[in-house]
Amino acid sequence: MKQEILKNFDVPILPITALILFVVCFALYAWWTFRAENRPAYEAASKLPLEDEKLSRQQKANL
Amino acid sequence: MSSPKIPTARSGRVESFSYDDEIVKLFVIATMIWGVIALLLGVTIAFQLADWRVNLGLPWTTFGRLRPLHTNAAIFAFCGNAIFAGVYYSHQRLLRARLFNDVLSRIHFWGWQLIIVSAALTLPFGITTGKEYAELEWPIDIAITLIWVIFAVNFFGTIVRRRERHIYVAIWFYIATIITVAVLHIVNSLEIPVSLFKSYSLYAGVQDALVQWWYGHNAVAFFLTTPFLGLMYYFIPKAANRPVYSYRLSIIHFWSLVFIYIWAGPHHLLYTTLPEWAQTLGMVFSIMLWMPSWGGMINGLMTLRGVWDKVRTEPSLRFMATALTFYGMATFEGPLLSIKSVNAIAHFTDWIPGHVHSGTIGWNYMLIAGIFFYLVPKLWDTELHSKKMAHQQFWLATIGLVLYIISMWVAGVTQSLMWRAMDDAGNLVYPNFIETVVKIVPMYWIRAVGGTMILISFILMMINLYKTAKAGKKLAPVVYESLPLDDSSLEPHASVHRKLEGWPMIFAVLSLIAILVGSGIEIIPSLVADKYVVKVSTVKPYSPLELYGRDIYIKEGCYLCHSQTVRPMAHEVVRYGKASNAAEFVYDHPFQWGSKRTGPDLARIGGKYPNMWHYKHFYDPREVTQGSLMPQYTWLFNSKIDYKTLPKKLSVMKQLGVPYSESEITNAVAMAQAQAKTISDDLAQSGVPVKVAEMDIIALIAYMQRLGVDYGSSQEGEE
Repeated sequence: MKQEILKNFDVPILPITALILFVVCFALYAWWTFRAENRPAYEAASKLPLEDEKLSRQQKANL
Repeated sequence: MSSPKIPTARSGRVESFSYDDEIVKLFVIATMIWGVIALLLGVTIAFQLADWRVNLGLPWTTFGRLRPLHTNAAIFAFCGNAIFAGVYYSHQRLLRARLFNDVLSRIHFWGWQLIIVSAALTLPFGITTGKEYAELEWPIDIAITLIWVIFAVNFFGTIVRRRERHIYVAIWFYIATIITVAVLHIVNSLEIPVSLFKSYSLYAGVQDALVQWWYGHNAVAFFLTTPFLGLMYYFIPKAANRPVYSYRLSIIHFWSLVFIYIWAGPHHLLYTTLPEWAQTLGMVFSIMLWMPSWGGMINGLMTLRGVWDKVRTEPSLRFMATALTFYGMATFEGPLLSIKSVNAIAHFTDWIPGHVHSGTIGWNYMLIAGIFFYLVPKLWDTELHSKKMAHQQFWLATIGLVLYIISMWVAGVTQSLMWRAMDDAGNLVYPNFIETVVKIVPMYWIRAVGGTMILISFILMMINLYKTAKAGKKLAPVVYESLPLDDSSLEPHASVHRKLEGWPMIFAVLSLIAILVGSGIEIIPSLVADKYVVKVSTVKPYSPLELYGRDIYIKEGCYLCHSQTVRPMAHEVVRYGKASNAAEFVYDHPFQWGSKRTGPDLARIGGKYPNMWHYKHFYDPREVTQGSLMPQYTWLFNSKIDYKTLPKKLSVMKQLGVPYSESEITNAVAMAQAQAKTISDDLAQSGVPVKVAEMDIIALIAYMQRLGVDYGSSQEGEE
């Protein structure tokens, strides 16, 4: 009995439940990520690589 | 909910600091050196598959020993050093902080090179665990763990000392890489040593297969994908001088990819004796991977909007755009190959190496080239030596790769269709396996030519970057400045993810949870494998001589060309014999199912041919199989069996759960000698000298003749 269950894992409710949970979680965090209110924060974050090499005033003066 | 506020004014005293770019330079140089070695090895083994004589008749230059060296050099030496170069360069800049500790950085660098040298000094001598992409023996595994911990301390220590509160998306991918690679490496490398250079995997059979391919697949995911995606998110915006197309898409990309990737390992084991539910799970999650993979590719490519004209002229952007295109193709092909009906055709064929190389050459090599064309002029403060040479490199690499991929598609599909061709009476149309090999040899030549073009392209890049660096100036360290990380950078009203980006340690824990969910669900059933594998009474442990022969089989890398699992398909059962059953592998530490059939499956080879056939076959495969590509193994006829190692080997196996009795362990040498004499007496009747009883070849024949006999002779498991 135990061998058969472990071999086939034939409990249909489990994969269906997992699928629903996964889709719901994905939809929720996708909706939350794309909310308009978050846009300014994300725009600021996306510019981090472009602002990462600020030279010292001394070196800027030497350029 | 209130809108997130971005602080516009931070307070504090401006701090000056410099970056450690010397360590980045060291990793760049190491990348180039190991890259050319990895490609040279790849081209060598490609020619060996086209013409067996390229094996040179030496033990340490045969395909079975060089192939693991090629894969380890390409993945861990070439790509590994490139990852460290890119991570150390971008990590410092994104966090506005020098690396945590210069000494740790040097230990990391030299330790990693020492590990690679150790691999180069052990694999050609047959010192291997026999697990693909994890072949290095236990002392090197420990060294990898130590160096990885040093890398992690240096990485997270830099985060602690950062001056930028928010960790950028590139760093999320680095965090996921560091954590997941540690988990994968430790779990898959659990083994019990027999000696300094030999160990047996803690797992056996189905259990070992699942753990191994959970590791193997995720070595691709978390060593060849996530760190490179992190590098993409940093270097493409830098090279294009514009922000990433969609930061929000990157959030979806990261969490989906990290969560889903870890589940997909079982797609390497479709139609095996792995439980059906685990196979289906692997297939479904592989298909789901289309979503985050293409999300990432689109995000990268769309970052280039507005600068497409530069893709034509700037080598760095050209290589990066091509890398993303190949990433898209490879990540489309991967899930496609995971669909069971497609996998039934593609698995064990050359389609798989074709797919793998579209990733490692198309994605990894091309992205590394793009990054280095941006990085090297910056590091050495000069201009790229020759754009023309870079464009020549680009076309050589691209055409070479297309030749490689297409020839492997043709070879794979052709051979698979020949394997499965059956007539109306249910007989195989091509019953001799060799017929299906000879047919695709022209494709092997095309692959070797394509590989050579890729090697030449890499040499061009080496020359170009060397001349660039040589023309560079030796400058005083550049000093940067930034405000310290204090409370003025806090954003109390920021969104949850924005806050999370300021809590890297919590971020790391969440990433760990994301990968542990899938891992747990896959691995836990594996750990209770003994509960669902229905024992077959006729399956017994290997005799001492057979166990010794099995170690030779592993040492020579036979598993790289021969599988040991018969899939439940009509043509396989007709060709090889009864479909495999999980019970027949319970004493296999490690499992030897393989992933490629350059030669036929060996699961039912025991008793199929007389001892003399094997004797001749190992001495010169062409003597019994015209057209065979297999190398000669003449040294096995001159090296003596080291009988005294047997009691220890059996004793370790017993520790692992193989039911050897104390008397069998004590009498292992006598038992092995008796069995060797039986085989050599049989061979002596055909004129083979009696002294051969002491040689390795006898042990290997003993193992061959045992394969599949126990289960094959059993009526259990018959449908």
